[in-house]
Amino acid sequence: MKRLLYILPLLVVIACSHEQAEETSLYRQYASRADITVAQINGFHLNDSVKVDVVILKADDSMAWQGLKEDFDIKDSEGVTSWMGDIDHPKKHVKRNVRPAWRAMAVHDEKIIAFYRVKDSIQHQALINYQLDKTENEK
Amino acid sequence: MTFDELWEQEERQGLLSRMKSEYPAWLHRRKRRRTVAAVAIAAVAVISPFVFIHPSTTNPYDHVCCNRNGIPEKHWVDVASNILTTQTL
Repeated sequence: MKRLLYILPLLVVIACSHEQAEETSLYRQYASRADITVAQINGFHLNDSVKVDVVILKADDSMAWQGLKEDFDIKDSEGVTSWMGDIDHPKKHVKRNVRPAWRAMAVHDEKIIAFYRVKDSIQHQALINYQLDKTENEK
Repeated sequence: MTFDELWEQEERQGLLSRMKSEYPAWLHRRKRRRTVAAVAIAAVAVISPFVFIHPSTTNPYDHVCCNRNGIPEKHWVDVASNILTTQTL
């Protein structure tokens, strides 16, 4: 019994250190779809101090991709389509300075849409810097 | 010697004889407790880095969830990273 008392606090600490990440409504909306693979990255590191949550929707076939394009009102059919989406309704476009918002990017060749949840200007700037740094490194 | 002195002497001697008989057992218990404590401290020292250091300190993300099994978490992190280089923000 005494031993259990020693172990109990340790178990509580372990349980607390592995808290479950919250799923976004965007993730939950597509999680049950058989033709769409959806992933959510909580705390995608943009630099040492800034992280954003990312939701990725990947259509498994052309029909599913057409459905996704209709869901988000994407008219283009090649290259990359990007927009700032309303945090509750990502389909709805908002101005670039609205926060919080989704930074959405649809890559037609890959049949993927990635949504980066931007809560403030620091995150938005970090997102831009991340891209610039990565592009520089690839040169 | 008064009765009180005799009584005190007897008490002291009784105490000494009891200590003599119980000391080895007490010493053994103390040694065992110390061994257990040392093992516990060593175990915590070895396990704690795996338990208390959050994965985000070693991974470029905190947590990944997906509606499909079998896809490595790193795949999605790479996708999220690569897409950012495909378009000017």
